[in-house]
Amino acid sequence: MCIVGPSGSGKSTLLRIIMGLDKPTSGAVRFEGEPLLPDNPQVAMVFQSFALFPWLTVEQNVELGLEARHDPPEVRHAKALKFIEAVGLSGFENAYPRELSGGMKQRVGLARALAIEPLLLCMDEPFSSLDALTAQSLRDEILLLWSDPNLPPRAVLMVTHSIEEAVYLADRVIVLSPRPGTIVAELEIDLPRPRNRKEPEFFGWVDEIYALIV
Amino acid sequence: MDLHSITKVSFSQVVGLAEAVDEAGGQADVARIAAEVEMDLDRIGPIVAASEFLGLVVVEGGTLRLTELSHKVLKAGLRERKKMLREILKDLPAFRYLIQMVEGAGRPVSRKEVVDTFALHFGTYQADDLFRALVYWGRYSELIAYDSRSELLSLRVPGVRLPSAH
Repeated sequence: MCIVGPSGSGKSTLLRIIMGLDKPTSGAVRFEGEPLLPDNPQVAMVFQSFALFPWLTVEQNVELGLEARHDPPEVRHAKALKFIEAVGLSGFENAYPRELSGGMKQRVGLARALAIEPLLLCMDEPFSSLDALTAQSLRDEILLLWSDPNLPPRAVLMVTHSIEEAVYLADRVIVLSPRPGTIVAELEIDLPRPRNRKEPEFFGWVDEIYALIV
Repeated sequence: MDLHSITKVSFSQVVGLAEAVDEAGGQADVARIAAEVEMDLDRIGPIVAASEFLGLVVVEGGTLRLTELSHKVLKAGLRERKKMLREILKDLPAFRYLIQMVEGAGRPVSRKEVVDTFALHFGTYQADDLFRALVYWGRYSELIAYDSRSELLSLRVPGVRLPSAH
C-alpha cells in the first residue's frame, strides 16, 4: 500500500505514528487488533536517508537491528547474512557505507529492516535520495522481494510523493489532501504486473490521482 | 584499460537504463531517456558506455537498443543477475590479471600491491580508480572478496559466505 499526498499532508507523520515513534493528537492505532506499543517489534522502517552507521560494516549495520531482540550472536550473524543475500548484497558484508553506492546503502537499510522479520514494513520515501535509474532498478528488485513468499513481511506501507511510483508499485493507494491532511480516496490499482509506465492505462491511474490532489 | 567504462557507475544504474529502454519498447534515443530520467550527458554518458561495454545495449547513432543478454538480465532474479555478470567480468583482462596475481601469490594480496602494479601501467590516479572499480564489481559479482579493514583482497567462491565481520 502506498500513501501519496502533497508536502505537509502528514504522510511521514502518519508513518511515524504507525511505527510508534510519534503519538497521535487524537485517535488510536491498532495493530493486529491491539493498541500499538511503542517500538513495535513487528514493524520495521526503511528511511529515506538510509540511516546507516558509517563506522560499522554492512553486516554490522544489519545486525544492529537484531540486538534489541537478544538473539545469540550466531543467530544474529546467520540472519544478517540471509537478508544481505536476499537484497543482493552478498560480497559486501565487510564493506563500509562509504564504499557503497546510494542504491546499495538503501539495500542495507532494507536488509536491516527485513532481518527483524516484521509483519509490516514501513518505507518513508525510500527512493527519493537516489538517481532515477538507480531508483527504477531498486523498485523492480523490491517487487521481486515482495513476491517471494519465503521473505517477510506480510504487508508493506510506503510513503511517496511520486504518484507514478505509487501506481507502479502498489495494490492500494491512499490519497491524502493538502493540509490539513485527510484521506480523499482509497484506490485499488488493478493493473497487471509487470507494469509499464508508458501504457495508457497506467497514465489513466496517474491522472486520476493527480485530479484528486490538485 | 577495459574497466574504465565501468569505474564511475553502479550495476543498478546499468540495469535501470536497460529497464528504461525496455519500457520504451526495447529501443530509444539517448536524448529521450536522458530527459525522462533528468540526467545530463555527463551523468548518463558513462552509464550508456558501461551498458554497452557489458553487452547490455547497442548504441547506434544516438539510439540505444537492448541486446538478448539484456532481456535475460531483466527477466532474471538477483542471484542469476550476479551469475551473468560474473560470466562477463571473469574474462576481462583486468580481472584475469587480478585473479592470476592472487593465485600466483598463493595468499590474499594487499591493496597496495595491486595499486602499485596498476600504477606502473596507468599512473597513480587511474590505478586508484581501477582498484575501486575492481573491488566494487568484483564484490558484486562475488569474484573477489575484499576486507576494507585489513585492505586484503582474495578470491571468492561464489555462494560461499564470508567469515563473520566481528
